[in-house]
Amino acid sequence: MHTDEKLGRRALLAGLTGAAATVAAASALRSNAAPPPQPPQTIDPFGGRVDDSTIQLDLPQLRYEGSWEPRPTAMRTLARELRLRTRLEPVREPTVVEADSERLFDTPFLYVAGEGALPDLGAIGTDQMRRFIDLGGLILFDAADGGADGAFTNSVRDLLGKVVPSAELSPVGRDHVLYRSFYLVDTPMGRTRAHDHVLGIQEEGRLQVLVMRNDLGGALAETPDGLAAYPCTPGGSDQREWAIRFAVNILLYATCTDYKADRAHVETLLRARRWR
Amino acid sequence: MEKMSLAVGHTPPAFVLVGVGLVLGVALWEAVRTYLRPRSPRPRAIALSLLALRVLGLVALLMMVFEVTLRIDEVGPAGRRIVVLVDRSASIALPDATEAGEATATRQSRLEKVWAESESARVGWRDDGYLVDVRAFDETTHAYAGEQADTLQTTPDGVASDLARALSELAQPGPDEVPLSAVVVMSDGLVAPDDATDTHVRAVAESLGVPITTMALGAPAIRDISVASVRAGEFAFVENVAEFEASIVSYGFEGEAAEVQLRRDGETVASRRVRLDADGIERPVRFEVAPDRIGQFVYELRVVAHEGEATTDNNHRAFVVKVLRDKVRVLHVAGRPDWDVRALRTLLRRDPNVELLSYYILRDHDDIRREDTTAPLSLIPFPTDELFEEQLGSFDLLILHNFDAQPHQVAEYIDNIAQYVVDGGALVVIGGDLGPTDGGYAVRSLAATLPVDMRQPSPLVHESFAPLATDAGRRHPITSWLAAAGWDSLPPLPNYNPLSLSPSADQIGGSALVVHPSDTDPQGRPRPIISVAEPGKGRTVMLATGGSWRLGFAPGLPLIDGARPYDLLWLGVIRWLLRDDTSGRLQLETDRPRYRVGEDVELSAKTVSVAYAPQPDVEVTWELRLLDESAAAAESEDRAAVRKGRWTTDGLGRAREVVADLPVGAYEAIARREDAGEDDDGDDAERTAAAQVRRVFIVEPPGRELARVHAPPGTARLAAIAEATGGDALVAAASETLPRRLELADAFAEGPGLRLDSRRDIPLWSGWLMWTLLAVGFGGEWLLRRRAGEA
Repeated sequence: MHTDEKLGRRALLAGLTGAAATVAAASALRSNAAPPPQPPQTIDPFGGRVDDSTIQLDLPQLRYEGSWEPRPTAMRTLARELRLRTRLEPVREPTVVEADSERLFDTPFLYVAGEGALPDLGAIGTDQMRRFIDLGGLILFDAADGGADGAFTNSVRDLLGKVVPSAELSPVGRDHVLYRSFYLVDTPMGRTRAHDHVLGIQEEGRLQVLVMRNDLGGALAETPDGLAAYPCTPGGSDQREWAIRFAVNILLYATCTDYKADRAHVETLLRARRWR
Repeated sequence: MEKMSLAVGHTPPAFVLVGVGLVLGVALWEAVRTYLRPRSPRPRAIALSLLALRVLGLVALLMMVFEVTLRIDEVGPAGRRIVVLVDRSASIALPDATEAGEATATRQSRLEKVWAESESARVGWRDDGYLVDVRAFDETTHAYAGEQADTLQTTPDGVASDLARALSELAQPGPDEVPLSAVVVMSDGLVAPDDATDTHVRAVAESLGVPITTMALGAPAIRDISVASVRAGEFAFVENVAEFEASIVSYGFEGEAAEVQLRRDGETVASRRVRLDADGIERPVRFEVAPDRIGQFVYELRVVAHEGEATTDNNHRAFVVKVLRDKVRVLHVAGRPDWDVRALRTLLRRDPNVELLSYYILRDHDDIRREDTTAPLSLIPFPTDELFEEQLGSFDLLILHNFDAQPHQVAEYIDNIAQYVVDGGALVVIGGDLGPTDGGYAVRSLAATLPVDMRQPSPLVHESFAPLATDAGRRHPITSWLAAAGWDSLPPLPNYNPLSLSPSADQIGGSALVVHPSDTDPQGRPRPIISVAEPGKGRTVMLATGGSWRLGFAPGLPLIDGARPYDLLWLGVIRWLLRDDTSGRLQLETDRPRYRVGEDVELSAKTVSVAYAPQPDVEVTWELRLLDESAAAAESEDRAAVRKGRWTTDGLGRAREVVADLPVGAYEAIARREDAGEDDDGDDAERTAAAQVRRVFIVEPPGRELARVHAPPGTARLAAIAEATGGDALVAAASETLPRRLELADAFAEGPGLRLDSRRDIPLWSGWLMWTLLAVGFGGEWLLRRRAGEA
């Protein structure tokens, strides 16, 4: 019985690999190809029937004294893109929360953008941020300077020194599941591509904090007429698409954690990459 | 010999003593002063006579006042006891020979022969006045008397050879026992399984302070194979390789092949053939097996017996192993990633005992249609056929997390899932906006396994509420932690699926543990939020909410016993679903897994209701069976019970039994609820099996008496003891007998070395002698003074 089970598992794995190979390989072969066509932007994923019973994900953004919203529509765009591309059901209008508010705990995800140094969040705010992380939340810091000015990133380091003093920001390796949680992404691009990696704090393999220094919000932000608010440099619209894909990956990681690190997924994907 | 002494018979009161002392002192002082006067007119001889008579009179007076008695004691040497310690442990029954190939004789036969041939010596000891005290020792010591002391005939079957204990008892003689003069030890010397015990035995022997003469009963040539030691853990993990190792020691079988078996509950599960080494060389034999089921088992390493072995009692050794579930294989299928999925996945991934396989639906058909076909995705197909057709049985737990079965072609496998549960699988269905609205679960077979009715779509209601724990919920292992605090201190839940208890809930033990505080179903019953059922051999749990993650992520989240409520909830769910030992409705325990022979075995049982309340007045039958039977017998249900009985649980659902006097062996204890299957129609063998619990235990000898049977080390040990204590070392196999003149302790040592045989007291203070002395003393002085002209 024991042997049969083992053989069965191998057979399952082989089946998975084989079944996935065609699709994955086809996708992989094209991953470095020419810029992909953009999804049609005229679709309003929120325009159809609204089901009141749906569990909707909020993508809250932290409000603080100072330049807390350098890219005002970034989260709204991300919510829309998530609806268009994935089965996630984000809210149409992501909310805004303060660090000292109990509403901070309504969602285990928090987007913190900024241009220039973060102000002091106060004792209550700092304590709440610490508890937010301790209970399993994920904070995404996004530097709107795009790597030109390290003030925001430095202030984030200072803040994290108080919130998680036992850990330090460090580069998130290319082998991290973040780069394959939905799309296969090579570089974490934003409005800029000044840095080829993101920074993060991990505990027992779980990302608690992500720091994006390439202005992810700048790539997501749109004007009221639906056009890109800021040019992405140096890659233009292709870079913007890759930025959106990385943002999608971040939210898929936030909801599924390291789901794509499961053995069945890893072996299927490795095989696909070999074929590529 | 006699010892004389003076004894005072009466001590007067103090004032009398003072008066007498003064009188005597003055009288003596006056006599001495007169005698020493330099110019005394008396002749020197008369003066001296007067002084002597005065002293004589005063002494006589003293003796009269103090009632002085002459005491005559008849004493003899105290060390007049010779103790003979005779080994009657099982190893004495073994046959061996002085050389290989010669006729063998049992050590017991040599013992009896030596004893008989030493009769004249023993008579001589008694003629010398020694008391010969014959005692047998094994794990305890007991005296031989009468004919048994004369012949030493017995059947040696003691389970240990505790010579140290026997010697220690001699160091503490009873009040009526005379001290020791010598000890004779007749044994094979196999009394110490290790160096520490060897040192201890020798230390105790030396502390006695008397010579110990030893008679070694063993001979060097023996044929035997034994399991000298076993290395095995108390725990193993199911379907994981566990190692069991035995050290095989053989004598007289060098080069021959032997079959070593690993048996579980009497049934051989593995065997190996090994070639036996030279005499006394330990040969390790290792088994690597993967237990295929969880539970408690008696494993045994056994060497198949060879012809001509001195004994086969040492060819096997049993031990209890508890086989635990190692990695719980969990299949987690989610219809949509959200915070609830994140929380549960994080929890399951953190548990090192969980092997998690997840499939989450990351995009649906509309997303696929819109997607750039060139985008490199990490997605893989959802292998429904493999998961729900071929491999479903390999999972311990299936979690359908807000999973809409119909759009993903899983609805066609619902019957498989239902059968998986009935066959013993565990299923959790978690509500949300997709699963309960899908209609994919409206299949009769699955409906018969779930505690709730999912035949009608149940759209998610977004409403913050604090659920209520039911009576069953406060007792159930999943939610019993709510009993103390309730839900008041916990975060409210953000949504729920308004479901109803299944119409067949009563048939499958379905009950609601946590309910909505106000919403009720058409029958007026509160809407179940957490509910459970036990269909067939499986178990199911329904969480009618997609917001249980709030129990792990909220401001001011209370910790209960240091854990998040979310962790407690899921720990309880998994333990109950996987039938953790503590989650059965009949629990049976023994107070220990191993007992020494003679120790009481305590069985205790506990019965709980479907709602996990203590269930009183439940009829439970129990029985003990030996597991040491042959494999065929072990499989038979007709094996005779060694003991059996019947309990009726008390008001707290408890029952207890103390079983005494179980012989050495491996046992299984089985208890059954007699009410099992009462609610079922027809054949309910499965339910009966579910209401039966089993425990195993071993009753073993206090030591490994026959683990080592080769006599030479024992002979050497006895010689060392004799040398260390000043005794003689004798060997029966060399036809030596006990000596007429034993080495003895110093018989006339001072102090406790003398023994009082009789005593006579002769009163000196009364009778004619005293009056004569008084008359001579005082009367003679008066007459002499008168003759000297002083009176």
